[in-house]
Amino acid sequence: MGYLELLLRPSELRAITQYKTWHQPLHARDPTTESPNRVRCYELLELTSRSFSAVIQELQPELREPVMLFYLVLRGLDTIEDDMTIPMEKKEPLLREFDGILEKKGWTFTENGPNEKDRQLLVEFDVVIEEFLAIKPNYQEVIKDITSKMGNGMADYAKNASHNINGVQTVEDYDLYCHYVAGLVGEGLSRLFGTSGIEDPRYADLTDLSNSMGLFLQKTNIIRDFREDLDDKRRFWPKEIWSKYCADLSEFADPANEAAALNCISEMTLDALRHATDCLLYLSGLRDQSVFNFCAIPQVMAISTLALVFRNRDVFHRNVKIRKGQACAMIMKAKNLRSVCDIFLDYTREIHRKNTPSDPNFLAISIACGKIEQWTETVFPSQKRLMLQKAEDARKRANELEAAGRNPDGGVSDATRMAIFVILFWVGVTVLMTGVATLFGARFDLAFKRIWEMKWPSAEELAANAEKVGKVVGSATETITRTATVVSETTVVREL
Amino acid sequence: MSTKKYNFNSALVIGGCGFLGGHIVSHILDSDPSISISVMDLRIPNTPPHPSVAYHAGDITSLDDMTRIIQSTRPDVIIHTASPVHGMGRDIYFKVNVEGTRTICRAAKAEGVKAMVFTSSAGVVFDGDDLINVDESAPIPVVAMDAYNDSKAEAEKLALGANCDEFRVCAIRPAGLFGEGDRQLIPGMLSVLANGQTHFQLGDNLNLFDFTYILNAAHAHLLAANQILSPDPSIVSTVAGEAFFITNASPIYFWDFPRTLWSHLSHVSSRHLILPRSLAVVLAGAAECWSWIVGKEPGFTRFRVKFSCANRYYNIGKARRVLGYEPIVGLEEGIRRSLAWVDEEKAKEGK
Repeated sequence: MGYLELLLRPSELRAITQYKTWHQPLHARDPTTESPNRVRCYELLELTSRSFSAVIQELQPELREPVMLFYLVLRGLDTIEDDMTIPMEKKEPLLREFDGILEKKGWTFTENGPNEKDRQLLVEFDVVIEEFLAIKPNYQEVIKDITSKMGNGMADYAKNASHNINGVQTVEDYDLYCHYVAGLVGEGLSRLFGTSGIEDPRYADLTDLSNSMGLFLQKTNIIRDFREDLDDKRRFWPKEIWSKYCADLSEFADPANEAAALNCISEMTLDALRHATDCLLYLSGLRDQSVFNFCAIPQVMAISTLALVFRNRDVFHRNVKIRKGQACAMIMKAKNLRSVCDIFLDYTREIHRKNTPSDPNFLAISIACGKIEQWTETVFPSQKRLMLQKAEDARKRANELEAAGRNPDGGVSDATRMAIFVILFWVGVTVLMTGVATLFGARFDLAFKRIWEMKWPSAEELAANAEKVGKVVGSATETITRTATVVSETTVVREL
Repeated sequence: MSTKKYNFNSALVIGGCGFLGGHIVSHILDSDPSISISVMDLRIPNTPPHPSVAYHAGDITSLDDMTRIIQSTRPDVIIHTASPVHGMGRDIYFKVNVEGTRTICRAAKAEGVKAMVFTSSAGVVFDGDDLINVDESAPIPVVAMDAYNDSKAEAEKLALGANCDEFRVCAIRPAGLFGEGDRQLIPGMLSVLANGQTHFQLGDNLNLFDFTYILNAAHAHLLAANQILSPDPSIVSTVAGEAFFITNASPIYFWDFPRTLWSHLSHVSSRHLILPRSLAVVLAGAAECWSWIVGKEPGFTRFRVKFSCANRYYNIGKARRVLGYEPIVGLEEGIRRSLAWVDEEKAKEGK
């Protein structure tokens, strides 16, 4: 199935091949120089997230270990939170005190359920702690602080019976939930970047933007994972949104409710899109290439996924994913802000093309797309290029006129000479052809005679034919004219 | 005095019976009923809409009329919105827009009026090509797109040129105005619907357009009048002599606006006949030739095709920074109100 899809899209097959053949890490990691604990940490990272592992390992050495550990620590926290086999009275203290655990050498956890995917991470968590304590204290401080906030947030949600039974209620709740599970990750990463000195230290304080970075990713995943979450009896779509379209989320899978379901996913997409320009703004200030790649790649994946899920009925029946070729192409392309903006615009326009006036969110989606377009035009103004081009064209025309004026006789002479040559050439060819034809027996005298005697149509016949043609052309242009006139007329707005 | 909300006590709205002028009058009354408002227009309605407003009939190209009305109204600020309706000839445009503005400036200076807010148009920078996120630094084209915009640009130049310490002037450039009282944009789109032509589309609908709900433009004029008469000279210096683009800060794809309008009336076209820009230009050229042969005014023109397919949206950062402008009504609500007004008008005609 995958291969057939690839054959249908040669350009994506090419992208995958190129990626596997030519992609060179910016900062390649050398395991032979690392301690056994560190090597094991990277192996655990690979086990928990192959895609993130690849991107983290390309980070600048100064940031690579702190980010790797940050990821593993949060994954450990998440593994405890996710595990439904752990009773609440045991889970809550673990979540709330997890930042303290980071300083307990030798600590491990062996009580995850046997089916918990990442349990091995906690079984060997002593290795993570060992490496955590080896990094610089200021990085440790950031990781502990975020871990504490997330742990408390998760504990609050875990205890919230209403949340667990009924899911997320308001859009505000939705934002808060996404803040705890993803916005804080963005904040933590920003503080690591700022603390390192590799990026502007002010990144540590851009909590609104870093929060948006996290929320954009999380909301995209929540929309995409509708089916999977519903099957697991989890509800992350805010009731404030879905209750406009159905009495219960599970109704969306019913084909009879398809129109309502698509409109709801449209509103969910609209909510996520409002973070897009914040993400671009965040990316615009990054200086280090590996940090840029690390931050940009998930964002372009997210906008691509949003375009995929937008008004896509498959979301309610199965897990939808962007194609691997598509992903490889974006990873290789997203190397600078300009390219990222182009990717965002491509997918924004894809959303626009799928938009339909029957959707109550139609105009709001158009406005959201327009904001992304306008943002990219503010940063990369094509209008200025147009104006420079016009100025250049005007200058060229002026130069041409001046040059023509400077040599009026020469110019005229050249033109005249060329015209005379062309005329003589054609006359010569005509005479030659006529002569040859005559030699071969052509009777031009008879031809001319016949033409001279030919009867011409009368004036009445000409008028009748003209009238017929006129009617056809007139009715055709009338139809187009009427539409274009009214629509374009109304846009030529005047003040009264 | 400290409870005063705005920096002026009286205003003369020229063109106050028109689409934009009428909304400016209403908005000022809603914002601060204590402001004394006078209206001047070519024709005064038999039943004035606002009892507290003084209505004066007069011709803005007549110095005598202007002087008489300014003397009797004594406004702190003039808001000049008067402009001929679309479809008039070049002579009318220049007479009203340019000579009229010149006369107003002359009379206002002579009578000691302190300030004027001039209604210009976003179209003054249009030369037939895209306007992509342009701001006020965009030049006014040497060769104007049409006579209306040419006269409007000339008038703006004249008005801002009249700016001085004793008579401060700024210009508001609204884009794509629509709303209650709209006789062009909304009704035109409704007639496309009535004619069953909603499936036509010129171009690829990737061009962005700025539409502006009328109340937001009225609000911009109020803010401008307030700022230009500020007691703080540093504020005045950022406003006087300046032009400001005004939009809804929500550029959208061109055809999404009429389609939104039609969907509010329960109509959604399931298919679109898309005429690519290049083909549409050729057809428009043919239509123009045909119109020329039969001696008719062309309706389907290359200009209109280019207009419908062009980007026309603006960066209103300057209006935000200097005037403190933000649109107070969104596009969707603006459309809803406009359609409600259309229904009211139909009900009146039916009565």
